[in-house]
Amino acid sequence: MSTQNQNGYMLLYRSDEWYKALSHEELQKVISQNNAWIERLTAQGKAKPGHALGREGAPVSVKNGRFISDGPFAESKEAIGGYLLLDVETFEEAIAIAQSSPSLAYGTSIEVRPVTEECPLDVRARELAQEEQLANV
Amino acid sequence: MSTQNQNQNGYMLLFRGTDLRKGLSPEELQKVTDNWMAWFKRLTEEGKAVAGNPLEREGKIVSGKDRVVSDGPFAESKEAIGGYFLLDVATMDEALAIARECPGLPYGIRVEVRPVAGECPIAADARKEAQFAQV
Repeated sequence: MSTQNQNGYMLLYRSDEWYKALSHEELQKVISQNNAWIERLTAQGKAKPGHALGREGAPVSVKNGRFISDGPFAESKEAIGGYLLLDVETFEEAIAIAQSSPSLAYGTSIEVRPVTEECPLDVRARELAQEEQLANV
Repeated sequence: MSTQNQNQNGYMLLFRGTDLRKGLSPEELQKVTDNWMAWFKRLTEEGKAVAGNPLEREGKIVSGKDRVVSDGPFAESKEAIGGYFLLDVATMDEALAIARECPGLPYGIRVEVRPVAGECPIAADARKEAQFAQV
């Protein structure tokens, strides 16, 4: 695994609607903690804009040549509730930031992914082309 | 859910499925990626796409009160997210129409279309509860 990445990292928040079970005071506390966390990261230049995602929405896919939509995903623990883009250079720092998120205490899990400029599909196509060339030598 | 709702914060497309490369020849794979890049370029020129990136096929999951770090299955999974676009369009219908143009759809890619929230839905809920409590 590469540890340096100039394109930054993406945090994807995965959770169900856990916040619906909290009292108003508890909820307010989490929101304040989270806002302070984001403000600190932004002030340090480590977080670029992030957003919550609406729980409604539709996945589009094709089955037997037809567009189909399935969902919803509001209730799923795996559903993505929001994202944050981090402007840090190493996987270790991105993971450390994810570990400092206040929402972890409430069952949210955070996916940490390196952002890339070059599509992995392109990289793979090039590898395959090279393999073919070698095979033909 | 009304698909006619206006949303000035735009929409996010999440591309799910990182197993597309299996079973495709290098030429087919190259064609899909070329089409994908051309699609993104056109959307950007039309002012409809404001950001977009692939994500590496590696990653970690951080979870729990103990903040445990674990490996996630991001390679060759049907559900794994391979990349995203941020769209500056005002309606779910327009975002869905764009999602349906995705060159990866015939190869099993699924496109998740989500409205970007201006205010965190958690904060909005808290505000509503506070208003309700005052009545």
